[in-house]
Amino acid sequence: MEKKVYEVFRQERDGKPFVHSGNVEAPDDALALQYAREMFGRRGESFRLWVVLRDAVLELSDRDLLSPALDRSFRTVQGYRLRDKLAAAQGREAGT
Amino acid sequence: MSESAVPLLLSLADDELVLGYRDSEWTGIAPMLEEDVATSSISQDEIGHAKALYEIVREITGAGVDDLAYGREPREYRCCWLVERPRHDWAFTIARRFLYETADDVRTEALVASSFEPLAGLMRKVRREEKYHLMHVSAWLDRLSESGEARPRLESALALAWPDALTFWEEIEGEDEFLAGGCLPAPSPELRRRWLERVERELAARGLDMPRAAGPEPPTGRGGARTGDFEPFWLEMTETYRLEPGATW
Amino acid sequence: MTVSSLESRTREFFERVSNGGKVEMTDWMPDDYRREVLKFIEMHANSEIMGALPEREWINRAPTIHRKLALTAKIQDEVGHSQLLYRLAEDLGKSREQMFTDLLDGRTKFHNVFHYPTYTWADAGIIAWLVDAAAILSQKALLDCSYAPYARTMAKICWEESFHIKHGYDIVVTMMNGTDRQREMVQDALNRWWGPLMQFHGPRTPRETDKDIAWGIKARANEELRQEFLSLYVPRIRELGLTIPDPNLRYDEERGVWEYTEPDWNELRSVVTGHGPRSQERLGFRRMSYEQEAWVRRAVMGRPVV
Repeated sequence: MEKKVYEVFRQERDGKPFVHSGNVEAPDDALALQYAREMFGRRGESFRLWVVLRDAVLELSDRDLLSPALDRSFRTVQGYRLRDKLAAAQGREAGT
Repeated sequence: MSESAVPLLLSLADDELVLGYRDSEWTGIAPMLEEDVATSSISQDEIGHAKALYEIVREITGAGVDDLAYGREPREYRCCWLVERPRHDWAFTIARRFLYETADDVRTEALVASSFEPLAGLMRKVRREEKYHLMHVSAWLDRLSESGEARPRLESALALAWPDALTFWEEIEGEDEFLAGGCLPAPSPELRRRWLERVERELAARGLDMPRAAGPEPPTGRGGARTGDFEPFWLEMTETYRLEPGATW
Repeated sequence: MTVSSLESRTREFFERVSNGGKVEMTDWMPDDYRREVLKFIEMHANSEIMGALPEREWINRAPTIHRKLALTAKIQDEVGHSQLLYRLAEDLGKSREQMFTDLLDGRTKFHNVFHYPTYTWADAGIIAWLVDAAAILSQKALLDCSYAPYARTMAKICWEESFHIKHGYDIVVTMMNGTDRQREMVQDALNRWWGPLMQFHGPRTPRETDKDIAWGIKARANEELRQEFLSLYVPRIRELGLTIPDPNLRYDEERGVWEYTEPDWNELRSVVTGHGPRSQERLGFRRMSYEQEAWVRRAVMGRPVV
């Protein structure tokens, strides 16, 4: 047996998102669960835990992929300015 | 509930208190940091169970919880001999906890049906916490029995703990009375039989032999007889409590 | 990487962290930064695990079931925190075995306060109240650490330790409300711990020359922490009827700073390099436990054992 690192995700309350909380090392899955319980649940602060082998986690952090260089405002709320157009529409409607 | 349940309650409580103390001695120095934390949780659970049981005694006799835990003379404790032994090494700690947790599981399983509702109600809660203890000790029994280096240590530890483990089932003072009232739903010899079956099954599943040695002749722990290991332990446990009689801490 | 691109990358890195940028475990970082963060976290981890030992001396001598449970839970938290911190350090490239060996052989350090003896239950109270109070101030100065995994762990640790100070304060207040002998025990303990507490945050390294501040590892200078400790705790200590054993301790209203007798920095240096009153005894005890149970780690973790 060789020690392995497991990443632990904690759900604080039923229905809430799982948030990465840290990691534990253990020789196998059974003890990994017990140690996750100790490190991230011994004060009753967790509703559920996900315990995942670190080797199974894939990371993507490339800024070129995650923060596109060109404008993407068309897919955000801030990308739409309606005030003037709406006023015009409302004025036109009121005029009829 | 009548006073007759008190020796039973004290047997249960003192077992948990003293084992909780013994296991808490690993705090800060266990073989691995992760196990340090796990063992500490388990010992806190055991001491919490003792506290809840002393609270039931308090309802009956009016004695204070801390006075019950620290204010009695060694011969007044009712724990079995298994729990008062020093922690020795990790193998002994695991062997002792395996024998104890299994016995405690058999005992609490029976007590859930106790006619004494405060005890039955507490046992339902206690068993929810003991589930983790059983998982933990079972995982360790697997690991120690699978390793060539650890296995002989585990076997010696089981042999060392065995005679004292049998004292867990020594008949409790006034047992006939609280048995008749349904406070204890099954007699100690019957519970002991169930425990022996369980232990044999668990050991056999790991290819381990059942220890054969006989237990000591009663009276042992339940009757107030203490091993030589108890006095120094008790002196330490009660040192601050005895320092300033009547003081609040 | 060419020399010049390494240089520019390093320059960019330090510019980023000194402006509040964060670093993750999987990010590239200069060796100097990795070494410094590792050294910092390793000493923190060592202090948590060595800090378990003085309090452990009281684990079987707590006076009530509630105190016994709280003390056990507090020490357990410290061990748990050392686990979290050693994990961070392992991820920065040093094995736990190596860190334990370096600690046991005196090659790495732990906090000065854990090199001192304990004598009575009042020591357990003063440690949990004032030593933890001093420590939590240092730890809060790490909540915005440029090494993000450390900052996140610190948030968890500060949250978990919030009951420790209350537990210690409760012990001290209860004893001060008790018998003359109990009050005397607390005063004696305070007298013993005051010197080490004043040394705890370290000498007055100016902000400008503190590398850990420049690199965004910690946010506050040693003297700032000591001043805050005094502002927060001197009034609370005095209102209980305790006397602080420093005749020169006073608050200078005009300058807005606490004046105090200069802490003994020679003592601090000597203590943290393993010459404190209990340094060798505690390390010896830890070494003995570590070696006696080495077979467990071999059997279960399949680890090489030193």
